[in-house]
Amino acid sequence: MTTTMNGKIRTEKLSFSYGERLLLGDISVEFADQAITAITGPSGTGKSTLLTVFNRLWEEIGGGALRGRVLLRLEGRWQDIHAAEMPVSMLRRRVGMVFQTPNPLPMSISANLAFPLKLAGIEDKQEIAARSREALLRVHLLTEVEDRLGSDARLLSGGQQQRLCLARALMLHPEVLLLDEPTSSLDPKACTGIEELLLELKESCAIVLVSHYQDQISRIADQVYLLGERTLLRQR
Amino acid sequence: MRRALGTLTIAFSFAATLLLFAAVLFFVGVIVYRGWSGLAPGLIFGDTRPLDALLLRRQVFDGLFPAMAGTLALMALTMTLAVPAGLATGIYLAEYARGRGKALLSLLFDILAGLPSIVVGLAGLALTIILHRIFPGRIGPCLLISALALAFLVLPYLVRSVQLALESVPRTLRLTAPALGADKLTTIRAVLLPACLPEIAGGIILAVGRAIEDTAVIMLTGAVASAGVPRSLLAQYEALPFYIYYISGQYADPEELQRGFAAALLLLAMCVVMLLAAQLLSTGNPLRRRP
Repeated sequence: MTTTMNGKIRTEKLSFSYGERLLLGDISVEFADQAITAITGPSGTGKSTLLTVFNRLWEEIGGGALRGRVLLRLEGRWQDIHAAEMPVSMLRRRVGMVFQTPNPLPMSISANLAFPLKLAGIEDKQEIAARSREALLRVHLLTEVEDRLGSDARLLSGGQQQRLCLARALMLHPEVLLLDEPTSSLDPKACTGIEELLLELKESCAIVLVSHYQDQISRIADQVYLLGERTLLRQR
Repeated sequence: MRRALGTLTIAFSFAATLLLFAAVLFFVGVIVYRGWSGLAPGLIFGDTRPLDALLLRRQVFDGLFPAMAGTLALMALTMTLAVPAGLATGIYLAEYARGRGKALLSLLFDILAGLPSIVVGLAGLALTIILHRIFPGRIGPCLLISALALAFLVLPYLVRSVQLALESVPRTLRLTAPALGADKLTTIRAVLLPACLPEIAGGIILAVGRAIEDTAVIMLTGAVASAGVPRSLLAQYEALPFYIYYISGQYADPEELQRGFAAALLLLAMCVVMLLAAQLLSTGNPLRRRP
């Protein structure tokens, strides 16, 4: 296992299977903080599944089985994400996720942004408004939507929806951001916008990016891993 | 050969759609044509002043107002009973039931959906007889029994439409709320149900449409030709479909038959209004494209 001084996520002998099918076998790896770690590889090798291991989202899908340990460095200390003192809701507030397809919730733009805060028990309207503004600014969406925050988020364009999803994931200031091919359904202009954003965001968190696009990986990734044959091989 | 088959399929699909559209147009045309001339000022309230009738100060003896009021009361009560139960069962089947139990329950609701309404009516009648024996002189055929029977009749439609709507929510959207830290109940309440509200509203509209036209159930459980506006849940009542059924079999002169057609037109109008209202509730605007 490659160990870095500023590691953020670490797996120890991680294996994952769906039923009889072993997707990940004995993976021990460490991903750096304040960096973009790209995971690439052929379709169906388990790249998206690996992402869901880091926020335990695979448990919502069912049928999976995990062995080994997954650790997250919080407040300078490595903590097992399956430990009793780390409830899954708390883990997911610290580990944000953006999916391949833009998936705004069926509610207004402002309600989408307020949703994670309300789940975390933050009800203060002024704080919600301030944080929403800050997140929209970070994803360069504020000027485009500030006059229609009350309108249905599903009416935004694909690129705007994906930036909104990114803003929503940033509302709780996550320490890790998991991105599952976030630009695959976007046009080149929107794609470039998201890439620039990720380069800004990596200053404040660890980003794990699943991507098929080699040119994108070479542009923005600091670490590159290839997932194939159930193992993760470091390429860069 | 393959191209000819493709052309034939398109031609057949187009012809079938056209035929169906023509049939609907003919059906609605006949109802409107025959019913329109029967829409006289006294059709609904007869000789009674509309305000007196609406405020229940005077009974309407020679108008359709009691049948319209009875139909509306019956629908309101039926849906009050059926919608929460249908919603809860649909949610259970889609989100919690698993394996063979789920398959068995789904099959059961599919079978129930195919149950003839006369059988449900007979079940309602049997329930009435049982309740009459337990509470002699207090409970007989009435609005409540009819609503219970109709709720049972439409429940399978509601359950399956809610279940199918929830199951069709894309997986990434389904996982979005849990990825933000939401528990299952919050995900269902805040994401899944709002996401499939149009489909659920569609299911409710179908259920209302199925219930509002049913005559077999209500004629065995509480509807009568003359009862006035129902004053309690345990009262007998009049209903438009029963009135149409009764008039079409018993009419004494062409004028009375025309009143039957006018009643059918009113029933159709009530269905359209309810459909638009449900659309309005689900999308905010019945003519707007859904996101």
